[in-house]
Amino acid sequence: MSKKFLSVLAVTLLSFTVIVSGCGTQSSASSSGSSDQSTASSGDIKIGVPLPMTGSEATYGKDMENAIKMAVAEVNAKGGINGKTLGTVTGDDACDPQQATAAANKLVSEGVVAIVGGYCSGAVVPTLTIYNEKNIPYIVEAANSSKITDENPGNTFQINGTAVHQTQKAVELFKKLGAKNVAIVEQGDAYSSDLAKQTEAAWKAAGNTVVSHDVTTKGEQDFSSLVTSLKSKNTDLVFWTAYYADGALLIKQLRQGGYKGAIVVGDGSSDPKLIQMAGAAGEGTYVLSPPVAEFLPTAKQFADAYKAKYGQTPGAYAPLAYDGINLLADAMKRAGNTDGKAIIKALIETKDFQGLAGKVTFAPNKTLQESNFIVLQIKNGQFVLQ
Amino acid sequence: MHVMTDFYIIIQQLVNGLILGSFYSLVALGYSMVYGIIKLLNFAHGDIYMVGAFVGFGALGLFGSVLGIGWLGITAALVISMVLVGFLGIVIHRVAYQPLLNKNAPRMSLLITAVGVSFTLFNAVMVMTSGEYKAFTTSLSYDGISVGPLNITYTQIIMVVATAVLMLGLYWFINRTMYGKAMRAIALDQDACRLMGINVTKTISLTFFVGSALAAAAGVMAGVYYGSIHFYMGFIIGLKAFTAAVIGGIGSIPGAMLGGLILGLLETAGTQLPFVGSAWKDVFTFGILILLLVTKPTGILGKSEIERM
Repeated sequence: MSKKFLSVLAVTLLSFTVIVSGCGTQSSASSSGSSDQSTASSGDIKIGVPLPMTGSEATYGKDMENAIKMAVAEVNAKGGINGKTLGTVTGDDACDPQQATAAANKLVSEGVVAIVGGYCSGAVVPTLTIYNEKNIPYIVEAANSSKITDENPGNTFQINGTAVHQTQKAVELFKKLGAKNVAIVEQGDAYSSDLAKQTEAAWKAAGNTVVSHDVTTKGEQDFSSLVTSLKSKNTDLVFWTAYYADGALLIKQLRQGGYKGAIVVGDGSSDPKLIQMAGAAGEGTYVLSPPVAEFLPTAKQFADAYKAKYGQTPGAYAPLAYDGINLLADAMKRAGNTDGKAIIKALIETKDFQGLAGKVTFAPNKTLQESNFIVLQIKNGQFVLQ
Repeated sequence: MHVMTDFYIIIQQLVNGLILGSFYSLVALGYSMVYGIIKLLNFAHGDIYMVGAFVGFGALGLFGSVLGIGWLGITAALVISMVLVGFLGIVIHRVAYQPLLNKNAPRMSLLITAVGVSFTLFNAVMVMTSGEYKAFTTSLSYDGISVGPLNITYTQIIMVVATAVLMLGLYWFINRTMYGKAMRAIALDQDACRLMGINVTKTISLTFFVGSALAAAAGVMAGVYYGSIHFYMGFIIGLKAFTAAVIGGIGSIPGAMLGGLILGLLETAGTQLPFVGSAWKDVFTFGILILLLVTKPTGILGKSEIERM
């Protein structure tokens, strides 16, 4: 009896899934060419936009899609590319490798000439070769795993900062602050450990000293003995590479223990909750952050227009998504046609393209030559651009 | 000058270790008391500490506007949390453990039940708080005594004093009151106690009440001291407090106090010592503890007893 019930339940659930996913595919296919309720907008040149439209990351995907559509509309309003208009086709990768592969094949079959998007690294990596086989260039805006850089078949360009870029910015900041005895504190996980080790290597390579490299246990609340130990080593700059929750604890206890030097935290701690949790102790803390629209003087107009159109402030990766389309449009104009190989060549040759998030020039590995990370400082309970 | 600085560092680290250790001690007491009376390793104890922190957080939020978020409000939150979580301890005992005790279930079943209670508690809090960190905002300042590089805040001093008061209170309760006497008697022989007319179930509930209230006090104090709370905050401290109880000699009240302090001091020493450092401090600490247990398996103040398996 109960067995039967279970199998009925399973079948019902399964068929439901099929119906739902079937619907998803159909609606995006049928609406290509018409611009209502759109996962696609009409245009002579089709650009594929693989982003998470469903699932836990959907908010970020939608936010980037908004920025991309805004940029496309602006390019078209200015006369398009060599007389032709741009259009987008969105493919929902749901932040899932399998669905991403299906979405990529669908975009290719719809005849897109370039790809702009990419939020989850896991969903981006398996699609790179699918596009590369058809010589379709891919401008990645948010995903920043080193795997993308390592497995790049040649068509992929990352316009967001990677760990290497954050390290560059960190070292630059340490120098500016005149630090002599830097202490690095991480949590032993892949992300914070990677950033910590790279920063230590870069700082030492620049001829400086790292007085200690500490590893704390996630979830342990007491840092007092670490604070005393750091003070005893005459530390004048503490760099925290992990997340905001434990970061706030460390900042609090550093100040409570009478530490007077500088505190710098990595992008994992770049969250308004850091300010809330660290309280008064957080004042003066430096925060490395990806280029967020509200702190970019160049993005003021963009942020206002975005807000007027969508009724919300642009998210963390909206400026880069916007830059992605403009960079592609620029490359297409320089290439003179929409042939994939020509666009890839033009992208490689990009020199000092001015986007919202800074200048874009590609290093030989097709990541940014110069870091686009920004430095914020907590002042009067708010992040202020340095 | 250099010697002077070193001296200050040692003093500072002793203070750090003492404060960390007093948190461990408060939680370890509950472990030890429950083990002493019904031979149960109550693995939900760390989560009771966590629930205590959240109840204190809620109480401060409710009454903070009237009493302020200074010492008065904090003390009120502490008392409210101790009472409510004490009753939670009784509920856990009556619902989860007593039915098994009545049926004379094997100790292993009780242990599994304890793990289940632990999961229930932290998952419930996770759902209620959406898994978010909460900022435990108070108006306490960082003022204190500072001599050279030595820095001890008044908050730290009050924390240590409060812990000492709670422990002395417990010591008095166990050794000088009828209820305490009943607890000690049950730990020795439950059946004899029943024959003497002691209400065993009630006394066990009382033990849960006291142990949980102490953990709640530690939870609120940790929230105040560290400034943020989280549904998973009880996990690590639960393990460490259990360790502290074992080193001190599980079942022994002064042993739990001593064990907590030793653990806190060892961890602090490990962080400061050259060639150990923060990454290896746990290896250092637990290495010493293993040596200690090898030489004295019953813990520092534990009595060896004949196991009746």
